[in-house]
Amino acid sequence: MGLKEIQRRKFQFALIALVVALISYLVLMINGLGIGLNEQAGSALRRLDADALAYAKSSDLSVIRSELSAETIDEISRLDGVSGWAPLGYVGVNTRDSKGDITTAALLGYEPGSIAEPQVTGGRALTGEDQRGLLADAAFLKASGLSVGDRVTVPSRLTDFEFTVVGEIDEGYFFFQPVLYVLLDSWREVKYGSADPSLPVASIALLKGRDLVGRATEAYELVSKNTAFANIEGVQGQQATVNALRVFGFLIGALVVGIFFYVLTMQKVAQIGLLKALGASSAYIFRQLLTQVLAVTVLGVAVSVPLAYATGTVLGRLPKTVPIAFTGDTFVVTSVLIVVTGVIGALFSVRQLARVDPIIALGQQQ
Amino acid sequence: MSATLTVTALSKTYGSGALAVHAVRDVSFATQPGDFIAIVGPSGSGKTTLLAMIGGLLTPSGGSIRVNDREITRLSAAERAAYRRDAVGFVFQANNLIPFLTARENLLIMNEIGSGRRREAAERADRLLDDLGLTSRVGALATELSGGERQRVAIGRALMRDPLLVLVDEPTANLDSEQGERVIRSLIAEVKARDKLGLMVSHDMRMAALADVILEMCDGHLTRQARQEKTPADG
Repeated sequence: MGLKEIQRRKFQFALIALVVALISYLVLMINGLGIGLNEQAGSALRRLDADALAYAKSSDLSVIRSELSAETIDEISRLDGVSGWAPLGYVGVNTRDSKGDITTAALLGYEPGSIAEPQVTGGRALTGEDQRGLLADAAFLKASGLSVGDRVTVPSRLTDFEFTVVGEIDEGYFFFQPVLYVLLDSWREVKYGSADPSLPVASIALLKGRDLVGRATEAYELVSKNTAFANIEGVQGQQATVNALRVFGFLIGALVVGIFFYVLTMQKVAQIGLLKALGASSAYIFRQLLTQVLAVTVLGVAVSVPLAYATGTVLGRLPKTVPIAFTGDTFVVTSVLIVVTGVIGALFSVRQLARVDPIIALGQQQ
Repeated sequence: MSATLTVTALSKTYGSGALAVHAVRDVSFATQPGDFIAIVGPSGSGKTTLLAMIGGLLTPSGGSIRVNDREITRLSAAERAAYRRDAVGFVFQANNLIPFLTARENLLIMNEIGSGRRREAAERADRLLDDLGLTSRVGALATELSGGERQRVAIGRALMRDPLLVLVDEPTANLDSEQGERVIRSLIAEVKARDKLGLMVSHDMRMAALADVILEMCDGHLTRQARQEKTPADG
């Protein structure tokens, strides 16, 4: 009977399904934004081939402030359980192309052949001789309009450093900026101006091995990639904001569906009274309501998922990247949660439904 | 199967103390198998309350209602719902049909609420609608039916689960007298053809005159019981 009502009152239920679809779309887009921002916060950090990361103890797990000396790197590399290690330098830079357009980037310094070396997806890898070569992330190339073979200027400390893009990589973002990989010595030059041995040799160190996380001295501390990610400046606030938006999205969804079905139930009191007078149990009537809620929410979600996917695809093709990314899990989990919250919302009507007295079928109030 | 109904010292009081309203007071009567009974009386006389108690829609304040020797006043809420579903067929005055269902689906709803094979239920629904002269209207939505057609569909629905009692509340209130008489004659014919016990509340004495027995109520009391020599429906 519940489905027949939907079939015969298409317009009324289509409107409810449309509202569910819009809310579901909103929640999906917020989720997509959350994942996208998460990617931008540090997908390159998450993709590092390391079991632990070493930060300068005084940096309070800030990659901007972390500076490791050659002695500290040497000390860390000789720790028990370390099977591999690599220094990694970080500095945020503005790059300038031949037309003078500026693109921000995270300039990372590494040693070719080490575990910090990124995988090249186009062009070629850097060799020890490529002092003025760099590997650019696909996101950087897209944002700047540059390609392999183009020249790019990195101004730093009132000096212009000229680099040539020799290869493309797909490591994503580090600290909200697309990554550029250069040789460690080049990074030191950009950041400190010279390769003086007294200057720091890296920002952080990547470590492979067992039972490394948690070790610390006055010079360094070793943390997991997850801890490092969570301590990227702004990540916690950003994720808390996105999570709050998601929770509110679900709450509003539950409320809207709940209110819709509450109003529908109120409108159908006479009909519910008639069904009860004819011998229908409250459970039977609730099953009809549940069928309708499930049908409407599933339909709403079925509309919103392809819509959100299409929006994500279109936004991804825009020259200016909007940080939206979807995973299969996002769609499945969000869809299930929307349906579940819709059902929870509809439960508001259960009490009302149970209280309908069959005597109203006779036009009497008890 | 024909049913007998025995009502003994039945009463219903709303509220208490000085505010108490005695809707039905000490009503007793017994029926014979196959009777079609009309309950008449002015507004507020307690006739609909009496019908509601017999139909398991209201719990009496006192007294007994026995249907084929089964006491129904002590049933739980769930048992009363099952009693209404399986032993009683209702025809109400208003809001009688589910508006978004067709005539046929309004009959089949009884099968959905209860249990039974769909195919047999569909055959029974078609047969009932045919008997009620609604063959051409089986697929019409309730909202597309005339007042008389709607009441005839309600009669079909009341008979769907082969009940013991058919309880009817002011079935002609929204109909003109010609349509009303056709509906009542049709109702009585179908109830009698199936050997059911029928009880109809009506304020219209012309309709009541078609019944076998007239129960007259006033101020909650049963003031008169009259068995009619011959019902016009028979003739």
